[in-house]
Amino acid sequence: MSAVPLSLPRGLLARAAVLGPLAQAPGRAALSIIAIALGVALGLAVHLINRAAVSEVSAAARSLSGHADLVVQGPADGFSEALYPTLARVPEVAAASPVIEAEARVVGTRETLPILGLDVFRAAALHPVIAAAAGPRGDALFAEDGILLSASAARALHLKAGDTFTVQAGLTRMELRVLDLLPAGAYRQRLGIMDIAAAQWKLGRLGHLQRVDLRLQPGAEREQLRARIQALLPAGVQALTPEDQDAQAASLSRAYRVNLTALSLVALFTGGFLVFATQALAAVRRRRQIALLRALGVTRRLQFLYALTEAGTLGMVGAGAGIALGIAVAAVALKTFGADLGAGYFPGVEPELALTPWEALPFFLAGVVTALAGALVPAWAAASAPPAQALKAGDEERPASPSRGWRTGLILWILAALAIPLPAVNGLPLFGYAAIACILLGAVFVAPFAARTLFARLPVIPHAGYQVATAQLRGTPAQGSLSIAAVLVSFGLMTSMAIMVVSFRASLDTWLEKVLPADLYLRTGQSGDTAFIPPEAQRLIAATPGIARAEFGRGREIFLAPDKPALALIARPMNPERAQKGLALQSAAPVPAGRTPVWVSEAAADLHGLKPGDEVAIPLEGAARPFTVAGIWRDYARQTGAVLIDRDAYVQLTGDGRANVASLWLSPGAAIGEVSAALRARLPAGTDYEIASPAEIRAVSMRIFDRTFAITHLLEAVAIVIGLFGISASFSAQVLARRGEFGMLRHLGMTPGQVGGMLALEGGILGALGVAMGLAAGFVVSLVLIHVVNRQSFHWSLDLHLPWGLLLALGLALVCASAFTAALSGRRAMGPDVLRAVREDW
Amino acid sequence: MTRLLRALLATMLALAAQAADYPPVVPGRALSFPADEGSHPAYRTEWWYVTGWLDAGNGKRLGFQVTFFRSRPDLDTGNPSRFAPRQLLFAHAAVSDPGVGRLLHDERSARAGFGLAEAREGATDVRIDDWSLVKSDGVFRASIPAREFGLDLAFRASQPPLLHGAKGFSQKGPEPASASHYYSLPQLQVSGEITAGGKRLPVTGSAWLDHEWSSSLMDAEAVGWDWVGINLDDGGALMLFRMRDARGGARWAGGTLRGADGTVRAFAPADVEFAPERNWRSPRSGIAYPVAWRIRVGDRVVTVRPLMEDQESDTRKSTGTIYWEGAVEAFDAADRPIGRGYLELTGYGKALRL
Amino acid sequence: METPLLSLRGVSKTYAGPRARRVLKDVHLALRAGDYIAISGESGVGKSTLLNLIAGLDKPDSGEILFEGKDLGAMNDAARTELRRARMGFVFQAFHLLPHLTVAQNIALPLTLNRINSDAAAARVRALLEGVALGDAANAYPAELSGGELQRVAIARALAHRPALVLADEPTGNLDPETAAQVLALLKAQVRGDHAAGILVTHSPVAAASADRVYLLTPEGLVPGNP
Repeated sequence: MSAVPLSLPRGLLARAAVLGPLAQAPGRAALSIIAIALGVALGLAVHLINRAAVSEVSAAARSLSGHADLVVQGPADGFSEALYPTLARVPEVAAASPVIEAEARVVGTRETLPILGLDVFRAAALHPVIAAAAGPRGDALFAEDGILLSASAARALHLKAGDTFTVQAGLTRMELRVLDLLPAGAYRQRLGIMDIAAAQWKLGRLGHLQRVDLRLQPGAEREQLRARIQALLPAGVQALTPEDQDAQAASLSRAYRVNLTALSLVALFTGGFLVFATQALAAVRRRRQIALLRALGVTRRLQFLYALTEAGTLGMVGAGAGIALGIAVAAVALKTFGADLGAGYFPGVEPELALTPWEALPFFLAGVVTALAGALVPAWAAASAPPAQALKAGDEERPASPSRGWRTGLILWILAALAIPLPAVNGLPLFGYAAIACILLGAVFVAPFAARTLFARLPVIPHAGYQVATAQLRGTPAQGSLSIAAVLVSFGLMTSMAIMVVSFRASLDTWLEKVLPADLYLRTGQSGDTAFIPPEAQRLIAATPGIARAEFGRGREIFLAPDKPALALIARPMNPERAQKGLALQSAAPVPAGRTPVWVSEAAADLHGLKPGDEVAIPLEGAARPFTVAGIWRDYARQTGAVLIDRDAYVQLTGDGRANVASLWLSPGAAIGEVSAALRARLPAGTDYEIASPAEIRAVSMRIFDRTFAITHLLEAVAIVIGLFGISASFSAQVLARRGEFGMLRHLGMTPGQVGGMLALEGGILGALGVAMGLAAGFVVSLVLIHVVNRQSFHWSLDLHLPWGLLLALGLALVCASAFTAALSGRRAMGPDVLRAVREDW
Repeated sequence: MTRLLRALLATMLALAAQAADYPPVVPGRALSFPADEGSHPAYRTEWWYVTGWLDAGNGKRLGFQVTFFRSRPDLDTGNPSRFAPRQLLFAHAAVSDPGVGRLLHDERSARAGFGLAEAREGATDVRIDDWSLVKSDGVFRASIPAREFGLDLAFRASQPPLLHGAKGFSQKGPEPASASHYYSLPQLQVSGEITAGGKRLPVTGSAWLDHEWSSSLMDAEAVGWDWVGINLDDGGALMLFRMRDARGGARWAGGTLRGADGTVRAFAPADVEFAPERNWRSPRSGIAYPVAWRIRVGDRVVTVRPLMEDQESDTRKSTGTIYWEGAVEAFDAADRPIGRGYLELTGYGKALRL
Repeated sequence: METPLLSLRGVSKTYAGPRARRVLKDVHLALRAGDYIAISGESGVGKSTLLNLIAGLDKPDSGEILFEGKDLGAMNDAARTELRRARMGFVFQAFHLLPHLTVAQNIALPLTLNRINSDAAAARVRALLEGVALGDAANAYPAELSGGELQRVAIARALAHRPALVLADEPTGNLDPETAAQVLALLKAQVRGDHAAGILVTHSPVAAASADRVYLLTPEGLVPGNP
């Protein structure tokens, strides 16, 4: 007899306990891995995309201010240049570099080009790069049409040294000559540099500066000096450190970023839940296998560790795959949509992707820990089962329960109720997210109770398939609860996001209708701070045939607090009686006689702690002017806030009679097209303006809105897929466990179709309950999203709009998908081998 | 002489805007003092240039130079901006210390305006930030807080201004159009402080101030120049220069000698002949400079030799020029010391083109 | 001449297993109503295969199987399923009761599948429960019963819809000898009582002995045997 070579590796028992199950159920292992990978990938991708964007933006901000120790920053329309010598003469200031900042539209393209006006001599101390690039042609830079372009600007505009191109800034159109390109490493963003004098003149900034960058003497105490310098500055101008600038760049997108990260946590949560579901079912399925190992002498603790090792292995493989996937997703998303995923926070920035192992580690660990946490309860329950009982046939149905009862759920809901009224932490709606997690988790815990209650009340119908299906549901509420919870979580998330997005969209639509009462709008180009409608042009516009009434508005930027981003100041004809009509007013207070009213947007009110009746000092022309808050209005256009004052009051205080926007009402019978044409003909050639009807503005706004929320729809889809995965996992495992049953039913004369229908019925009932609970939970979550998360993140109030039709259709679709998934998972039940399963007991 | 280095910037202007309308330098314009000690902003270029030898005690001798330079860009702009580059100001300061072996130098540059950088008309008052050269109560004061050193010096005139050429009309080439208004204040008595290495040293010494303005100085053939100004030990003053062409030959030359008795003699091109005595090659730039010269002046021969060899100024990073400018000692035909002054050598690395 | 309830003529079936080819070769059998036979044989000789063929769950490679005169080989799966549902009953070694249905509901399952109205079904189930001496366990769940009791429920279920043929596959395999004897007796009595035919497939000589006739399944075919 020839000896068969025996393979008896070390750790045979561990292999049997860990690898055996994995190899036995590769499909289930793959499912868990995919779920973990998706969660990790999504989280990492969001982190990478945003980190790339924010670091790019702050790097851009830093490169603009060079080696400055302090930056004196004014609002977009700047401050008087007389401040410059004052700053330069402060003894501790080693170098002071005055700066003009402007945005010009490149004629013939859709691009805008940020232009810096610099005094090369002064900038040299802070920007060695500029000194080096400008040095050999220092005086050439004085050319009034000369500009130096950053490498990325040259690339984007397809220009090279010596080329000329035309830009539109303010009212003037001018031809610029590319003197040279800056070295590729100097400025990664799109940028052009002109002489400060030419910039002041050509960009309409005579007498003004936007910024003075300061370099301090060695040894100067920066914070002390900052306070002293701040004291020299007029209202609305701030002395910032480079760190402040970073913070401003990051704060711009922080809320948006946190929202995305929260969504990725949701994905990870769902993934962890799925591991729990598959592990719980695996534990059920392997109950006797585990009992056998226990009977062979494996201790409870060891068996528990084996189960955790198995889950940990899944977690590591999944997390590893997730990191690779996350990097790939981020790379593709950055390339395709840009750093803000189309939200428009970081225009003109070309981010680069980079990841260090240390950065990836938390995401990897999150994946592994999620897998372990998901496996903890089922693994312990399986290890704890008395082996003798588990070895007996017919004892499959005592699985680990996903809940320790509905009491836990109630406690979670109470916690959610307590968290909802809490304020934002550091500007972030952390308690809102906690409440959402509690609501969903609570629903998951309550699901088994709801399932039991419902299944006990299912009507009795003398139909064999129905009887068996309902008996199965009644008999295994815990298993069913897994499917319900999977659907509940995914449909809950989808519902809440759908309600929020639809509410937002409808509110925006209503708002646009309210704020765009005129027939036609004329507004100066994108370079809003350089482009104006001067008084002569205003008269010209108002006198255009076909125009019955014209109202002019002025928009500019102001700073109310040094640590907050700039606000928009809007001056337009206002009277307190009309405020209610022309503004989406949320609250109001009477303004005492003799006080000047100001209407502040919700964001301004939230960020600066203003309420109706408050006094507020608004910096105008370097002086802080007192105003009284007359009301708070809804504004979806400006996330960092807006304040609105009467234009007459504004002109009186500032002498600034220019405008940026004209609202035009047509005479009866006048056609929009003809009036537009007449306006174009009357306005001086080369004026940078747009004429649009409210319909066009609304269409553009809605398009931008839809693009911004495209990512949300993707996440909804992911949540649904994960939910269906949950059903599929649950049923695949159940079908394996119930093969004997299906074989018997086939013997008793059930057709494969009847068996499939029975499974579909089970899946459908579970799906329907999950959808119903998800709908309820999702509705509550949507309220939290709208009134807490959204309000605290973006400072926008929304009106609730419920897309019932959409939700019902989606719910129905999900129920059908659940039924279909369950039937599909049970296809094995229809195979011939199921017939043999009746004799396959061991 | 021509501390034109930074003026070269202005020559590179190739602007779409209208060219500036510079007044020509013409003979017969009488210089009047102290009015002509101030700025002449209409002219293209102008400089105030102080060089000298300092005694820091213990026999320690140092050379120094302080230059303020004004340039009116070739740009007649209608730009009403206060930043419009109507006048550019530059300053350069250096200390030659044989103990260090190389130049300590620093520079400033700015467009005039906002009271931060100005060159006043009617009196010497030129400043860029905290660097200044101001005459008040008959005394010139230079305050130069630089990166590696500080100069705080007062200069007292002991003699009337020395007008070069024809009463201050100094021709620089075969064409009379190449010329400048040019006078010097030699034998200035220096007192003050020099700060170096964290130490303040009281110093005394003698200095030489050049003030020159022009609109067209170099003609098309000239590539550079050699210049020397010496305070003679006997109280006299000697200034010599030559413009070089591309072959290294003299395109033009000239000079002025004021004797101890006050008699002034102006030299024609034929009277002045520069002959290099020794070359020194810069280890940094690789450029060879004739740092010692035998110069024939009429029937006399004057030899100049440097305080130290390495007095090269590298300003290529900011202005694209590199030149040698340093303290020299002068000797007569018998090699006896007769005075001390400064030597400037330009256009050796590559031609300076106007 | 009376048509046999079941006749197998020259039935052969081959399919590859992992280690050996299982072969059913030239099997002949005729069974009349009321017959109660046992088929015995070594493990792996094809007893289960034969049972599947008779139940219409599988088709022979050659030969024919007639049930009540109809050729199972000529029927499609739906017709065979219909026939099985209405005319056959099954008892399995592992009982295969649905854990979440009560004893009574398990027994009623074939009645529901055959659309027998609930009143008639209730009466039938009650009678069957009495028959297998489990009248007091009607609303118990399988997990509460012993092995013998479970198999008695299974026997009741097999007969619920009054099948013409009861197929029992090692019905006592999971039972102790004493219980096994009781179950065998009960099975035979119940089958007889309902005028059904019975085929008892077993490798146990003791079990086989309870039948009227015993056949031995060998690789060469089905031969009459004496256990």
